[in-house]
Amino acid sequence: MHKKSSGADVLSHLTRERLAELESRPRTPLRVFMDYVICFMPVIFGLLALAEYLYVPNLKGNKSTSTYTYFLAILIATAGMYFVMSFFSKKIFLVLRYKAPFYSFIFVLLAAYDYMTLKTGKLVLPYFTWTDEILNAIIDDRAYLLDCTINSLKLLFTGYLSGALLGIVTGVACGCSRNADYWISPFMKLLGAIPSPTWIPIVMVIASTLFSGAVFIIALGVWYSLTIATMTGIRNIDKSYYDAAKTLGASPLRLVLNVAVPFAVPNILQGLTQGMSTACLTLITAEMVGVESGLGWYVSWQRSWAQYGKMYAAIVVLCIVFIAVNWGLNAVKRRLLRWQEGMTE
Amino acid sequence: MNVLELSHVHKSFARTEGEDVTQALEDINFTVNDGEFLSIVGPSGCGKSTIMRLIAGLIFPTAGTITLNGEIIKGTDTERGMVFQKPTLFPWLTAEENLHFTARMQGRRKDSSYMAEAERLLEMAGLAEFRNDYPHQLSGGMAQRLALIRTMINNPKVFLLDEPLGALDAFTRMNMQDEILRLWQQSNHIVLMVTHDIDEAIYLGTRILVMAPRPGRVRADLKNDMPYPRVRTSDEFLQWRKRVLGMLDFGQKNTKEVSA
Repeated sequence: MHKKSSGADVLSHLTRERLAELESRPRTPLRVFMDYVICFMPVIFGLLALAEYLYVPNLKGNKSTSTYTYFLAILIATAGMYFVMSFFSKKIFLVLRYKAPFYSFIFVLLAAYDYMTLKTGKLVLPYFTWTDEILNAIIDDRAYLLDCTINSLKLLFTGYLSGALLGIVTGVACGCSRNADYWISPFMKLLGAIPSPTWIPIVMVIASTLFSGAVFIIALGVWYSLTIATMTGIRNIDKSYYDAAKTLGASPLRLVLNVAVPFAVPNILQGLTQGMSTACLTLITAEMVGVESGLGWYVSWQRSWAQYGKMYAAIVVLCIVFIAVNWGLNAVKRRLLRWQEGMTE
Repeated sequence: MNVLELSHVHKSFARTEGEDVTQALEDINFTVNDGEFLSIVGPSGCGKSTIMRLIAGLIFPTAGTITLNGEIIKGTDTERGMVFQKPTLFPWLTAEENLHFTARMQGRRKDSSYMAEAERLLEMAGLAEFRNDYPHQLSGGMAQRLALIRTMINNPKVFLLDEPLGALDAFTRMNMQDEILRLWQQSNHIVLMVTHDIDEAIYLGTRILVMAPRPGRVRADLKNDMPYPRVRTSDEFLQWRKRVLGMLDFGQKNTKEVSA
């Protein structure tokens, strides 16, 4: 693995992977073996979790189906597939070697939760249901859950996008113009102290429809985050960029659009992430308090009927949705901040 | 024929604290014509950079006038290009996009003659194969060369160099001096270059403006007609060194007799 190759042609066809391999210290055979054992760990722990579900007897009266068996089987199969692929791709191996301990831990958590609910009832019904029940609830109510998810996402993105757009515009105005700053900043200071869900009761009464009211509140929180972030970004700009751009023929408008805004992009993206978490919080609160659709509403509705299995089902869907949204946001971030790659090295 | 003229230019700055005002430049007078390379030397605080920024149109004189071809300078313009001590490349643009920035700002069409010129400049600066790199991936010398050609693509009538080589190591610096010289000889426009380095001033300038600090004023305006390429170790060069050093002597009392 760690051959000192003297041939120049080997060194001229270096890839990033090969380079890392050449420069890393040689690994002992034991170390190599242990690395592969660790990569295989998720499969072992997955099988243990499966055994726990299938062979430990249920607490009297608790019923289980094969849904959870399939669920675990799919997860184990995926882990196994990655393990096999890690022999063929160095990249997959490195990722798996890094993540495997945590994946194993997830199986431990799943098994422990199953043991404490389905098998022993240490966590009491109806507040805690076992995973099998939750999965079945998702499958049974899937059409309605999908409908709720779509409603939630509609509300979330209408509020988020309008708030973000307005926030960037306000932030740019405040960052670039003293006049705008003079008139807007005092309101920012006043509004900034109030968490946006505070407005829900007032807006719900005033707004013409519940949807528009909720959009307004979500947008408000996002608008605030984005204004502050954009303003900070623009104010931190090194003035020499303006000087250079001016001598290169940039008009005042161009200075804003082609110098100030690109410079503030890292801050704006940070504001977008922060705004998204505020938006999610506000969305769920609004749905629980007033709006009669969406996942937040579904959660509180099922709870009021003591349908805890369905409540957890909606919470699981919520988690998946928010993780997906954040993942998308991070992808956008990486794309836009390509120019920073390796800058902090 | 381009003529840059500074007449009775004074410049004062308000201090950040208090009511005090600092006088940065006092009664600056000089004229530069096409084909002249003016080196400006002097200790820090003598307002060298302030002169550059005034000519660029980034700031305005407190009193006096600055004219290019008889017209008073009212702001920045691409006919007066400036290169700063820091490369001031836009970090979010690649090398090539930085070069095209000024065309974008002016809404200039990127026709074939423009692209050919851009290509020629990239080749000349040795940046052709780094065109897709971002500024932080370039070395100090490459970044400064990019800053130079980014201004040169406008073919400015007046080229203002505000210590552009100050942050470079000695070898890169000497190479860059030759490059600047070649560029100036090709275009034959006006070049003004601020420097701390007396060697650099003598090596490049057809004229050397020696300045004194607090408030900044011109102590001497020397014509340097040594033929190019100048040899740094020649007797004549060393004589020049002695002369300029004497003028910048810290024993300021005897400057008069030296400058004679």
